[in-house]
Amino acid sequence: MKETFDVAIIGAGPAGISAACTLADAGIKTIVIERGEYPGAKNVSGGVLYGHNLAEILPDYTERKCPIERNIVEMRIWYLSKEAGYSIGYRDSIFTGDRKYNAFTVGRAKFDRWFAEQAHKKGALVVPSTTVADLLRDGNGTVTGVVTSRVDGEVRARVTLLANGINSPLAAVTGYRAEPKPEQIALAVKETIELPAEVIEQRFGVSAGNGVTTEILGEMTGGMSGVAVIYTNRDTLSLSIGANLAELAKNKLKPYDMIESFKQHPMVAPLIADGQPREYIAHWLAEGGYDAMPKLYGDGYLIAGDSAMLFNALHREGNNLAMASGKMAAETIIEALNKNDCSRRGLSAYGERMAESFVIKDMKKYRRFGSFLYQHNELYTQLPRLASFAAREMLTVNGVSKKQKQKLIMKEIRSKTSLFKLLRLLWRGWRSVK
Amino acid sequence: MHIVCCVKQVPDTTQVKIDPETNTLIRAGVESICNPYDLVAVEAAVQLVERYTGRVTVISMGPPQAESALRECLSIGANEAILLSDRAFAGADTLATSYTLSQAITKINAAEPVDLIICGKQAIDGDTAQTGPGIATWMGYTQLTYVSEIIGIENGNITVRREIEGGCEVIQGRLPAMLTAELELASIRYATLPELIRALRYEVKVWGAKDINAAPEKLGLKGSPTSVREIFAPPVRGGGISFDAKEKKEQAVEDFLGALFTKEKTLMEEILIKASYAQE
Amino acid sequence: MPKNSKGREVAEVVPGKCIGCQLCIGECPTNVITMEDGVAVIEAEGCIGCGKCVDVCPVEGAILFEKQRKKKAPKAAVACPIEEYKGVAVFIEVQNGRGAEVSWELMGKARELAQKLDTRVFGFLPGYNIKSVAKEAIAYGCDIVYTLDDPLLETYLSKVYGKALAHLCQQVKPDILLLGATPLGRDVSSVVATQLGTGLTADCTGLDIDPECRLLMMTRPTFGGSIMATILCRNHRPQMSTVRPRVMKLPEKDMQRRGEIKKLGFEAARDSLPQVLEFIPRTAEAGEVDITRAPVLVVVGKGACDSKSLPMLEELAHLLGGTIACSRAVIEAGLLPYPRQVGQTGKTVAPKIYIGVGVSGAVQHLVGIQGSDKIIAINTDSQAPLMQIADYAIVGDYQQVVPRLIEGIKVRTEKEASKG
Repeated sequence: MKETFDVAIIGAGPAGISAACTLADAGIKTIVIERGEYPGAKNVSGGVLYGHNLAEILPDYTERKCPIERNIVEMRIWYLSKEAGYSIGYRDSIFTGDRKYNAFTVGRAKFDRWFAEQAHKKGALVVPSTTVADLLRDGNGTVTGVVTSRVDGEVRARVTLLANGINSPLAAVTGYRAEPKPEQIALAVKETIELPAEVIEQRFGVSAGNGVTTEILGEMTGGMSGVAVIYTNRDTLSLSIGANLAELAKNKLKPYDMIESFKQHPMVAPLIADGQPREYIAHWLAEGGYDAMPKLYGDGYLIAGDSAMLFNALHREGNNLAMASGKMAAETIIEALNKNDCSRRGLSAYGERMAESFVIKDMKKYRRFGSFLYQHNELYTQLPRLASFAAREMLTVNGVSKKQKQKLIMKEIRSKTSLFKLLRLLWRGWRSVK
Repeated sequence: MHIVCCVKQVPDTTQVKIDPETNTLIRAGVESICNPYDLVAVEAAVQLVERYTGRVTVISMGPPQAESALRECLSIGANEAILLSDRAFAGADTLATSYTLSQAITKINAAEPVDLIICGKQAIDGDTAQTGPGIATWMGYTQLTYVSEIIGIENGNITVRREIEGGCEVIQGRLPAMLTAELELASIRYATLPELIRALRYEVKVWGAKDINAAPEKLGLKGSPTSVREIFAPPVRGGGISFDAKEKKEQAVEDFLGALFTKEKTLMEEILIKASYAQE
Repeated sequence: MPKNSKGREVAEVVPGKCIGCQLCIGECPTNVITMEDGVAVIEAEGCIGCGKCVDVCPVEGAILFEKQRKKKAPKAAVACPIEEYKGVAVFIEVQNGRGAEVSWELMGKARELAQKLDTRVFGFLPGYNIKSVAKEAIAYGCDIVYTLDDPLLETYLSKVYGKALAHLCQQVKPDILLLGATPLGRDVSSVVATQLGTGLTADCTGLDIDPECRLLMMTRPTFGGSIMATILCRNHRPQMSTVRPRVMKLPEKDMQRRGEIKKLGFEAARDSLPQVLEFIPRTAEAGEVDITRAPVLVVVGKGACDSKSLPMLEELAHLLGGTIACSRAVIEAGLLPYPRQVGQTGKTVAPKIYIGVGVSGAVQHLVGIQGSDKIIAINTDSQAPLMQIADYAIVGDYQQVVPRLIEGIKVRTEKEASKG
């Protein structure tokens, strides 16, 4: 194709579209290439976004009719054994007032489509149903655009932004990012369950339009490093459970069976009772953390979002890292184009921006958290069992004195592990996120 | 040559169903697509223009979202696209729809004479196959439905192959004509990147009732003789007798045959007699 | 009860009920209804609570509390009864010089409708040299056959036939006109309806008379067969409907029946008409049969989509004097050719016995087999939709069940033979 662009963005997800909006606002000629039939088509519905991040890109996102499912007013954390569990939660009325839309759920298929429309309105060209097969390079190895699978499908661009997610055949072809190792990836399965909005509101004790997120650790991953979540959408619940790919492979476990047994758990089953499954999908999560990140930029290109393995496994934040990185990439590109230097050096400000931002700071803070989870499988086996045992004994009224019960519990704990081991685990856990 | 194609945006029907208990519609993840027969019509038109030179204009009646169906047509080579969108058009049955489309074609024709209209044989959401013939009748054009091949155009005549009961016919008619397309008429191309980009950038013209000089009483709900009285889930046949051949295979099949030949005695006798004749 | 800031009671869209038909949009006098995500949204502030959207909504997807309490007025009364239109007419299609079977099927239905309306059945028969067809029409239940006998009508041309039928409608003024949904019937029906400016409902699977308003209730599958809709044509005549072959039962032929044949005159422009240059009959491919005519169908589904099993299933079909058909999945797998496909996108069938082997029974398939006399299903999954509706459901592996069936039927055939 003869036409050239200033910027070619691969992928119309949160990272790519954030960049496209920022670039289009600056009047830069931008093309976004998306392999799905429409942005969001290849995506998994059900996700949490943060108002702060979205406002950085689109300050007027509510006026633009952002398809928000529910405003999150409470975050819950559960720690589960097979048939029991602990629950703590935090609810704050400020989240319905001054800090409304601090966090909210969206259906990604709908949200991505809407988000891409905003970029289109700002002047970016979003091309769906088109797969990028390769990068164009000049003699010096500088990226000069992309090759799509369509006829006459070369797109020349001064800068290329790779924002095509974790599962990228392009990475393998071009080698811009090492293939993630199985232990750096979680395979998550997600199911959406349809329920009337009023039933969801009743079961979670929220008023219309508000919702709850629940993040879950414990035995339901069958001893594997992993997390489950339950998000409330308008008239669906998103259930997701994921485990480390390496461990799944080793244990020959099927993610589908994992979510089926998760749905039977006594704390989960009543929430989804009488619901109709609507979608089921599996996807990858980049859990490798800071150490799995590729080089973020090079001659003529930058990488943002999941594609750069930006994901905070502890706080389940991926979308906001994607959006923030997309925006920073765009800001860097604007400067580079102005200086007319799109080489590695000209784009190096991206690394600096990222390093100063919460994105890299958080990635660094939690850099050892992934491996901590991965190495301490007692977190998903012995510990939830012991914790449940303790609570069950303390709370059962059967004429035994509390003191006697404490002794019994300590005895059980010592027989399974040692206080020293527990303290060490706590220490390491704290260290990993310090 | 100037060809007009009429296209419709339809829901990807495979997932629409009714909950038999509550009688409400379940439209989980229903996407809108351009009716596949209509895309074939556009492809055929583009191929004709490549053969004889000319232009292809696509029109569609529908809500503003139907623009995406038009863009799909532009991406495979249509030159112009017009969306007929007006609240007055809502609720149209096939008569009002074909009237509205033919009014638009009349206007297009005034600016640049139309030689040929190509529509899809039918829309996958309604399967009525009425809009094309309706347009031909309103316009007074030669009507050639179920076209599986366009053999050629010469001296103001078009020769096509039509699929009809028991075979096909080769038929020649005067232009201007209205054709409806079978799927075999053309195989839809994969848009090139420059064409796709042109389609995405194209500004679709939107015409309302006034633009096409339409009589208000012939539009939309008012202009529709038919109306929906009710909708419901397809009737469910009551279940019959079940035989479990998993556990005791031989017995179950024997039990079944016993029941079949007792309960449907006459039917089975008739069938076996006929079968024996057929074999002899 | 929803009220807007002006204190006016406003209409509401019932979540999950709206089907996005947009009827309400055209009806709303204040233009406050828009479509969002495929469903109607009413802007409360602009709504005047007139309830027009509630009245027009086909699915009770819009509500207004006031209206709900009052209970809707019966829809019955037709604004202006169109009294001159009487009788049920059937377009008689001529195929190879004979009446198409679908026309006779419709004749049976027309008799039934005419009885309910206490009126007569007409046959509309344009063609050339069609006397014998007209006589047959009477044998199938026609009271008066109106013929247009003209050499111009020997081959079918949309414009000529459209004009002929429209002319018959104007002369005879039937209340109802039924046509077979053959390629020809579908082609001409729309021409006639457009010329007369009346309503036409295609591919009906059910026709009946509303006992109150005496209108024709035309029921058809829509959205690819997943939903049924009943459609009325209130203020225009004739009420036109097409019906696919094999949907209605063929009535008994009675050569003793009496009826009238009336020949009408017909004039049509003969110039600049299309010319049929050639007719190429569809050559029967090797092994191609018409599955719609087989008394017994053994239908192969996804669960039995295996070329090794075909001979066994063919044997079963053969034993019962039937043939093999299949569901869409089997076509897609390339195991059988398209003419063998049953269902919404394939053929509508109505065999005496339908035997589904490994057919799960998606709605699209089920609408195509509704007319079957007896349905037998073999499937390992007892919960499959076809198993739920089958007259006889055999739960088990067809590889084991079918050979035993063949064995059992052979034994019975021999018994039958020795008896006779």
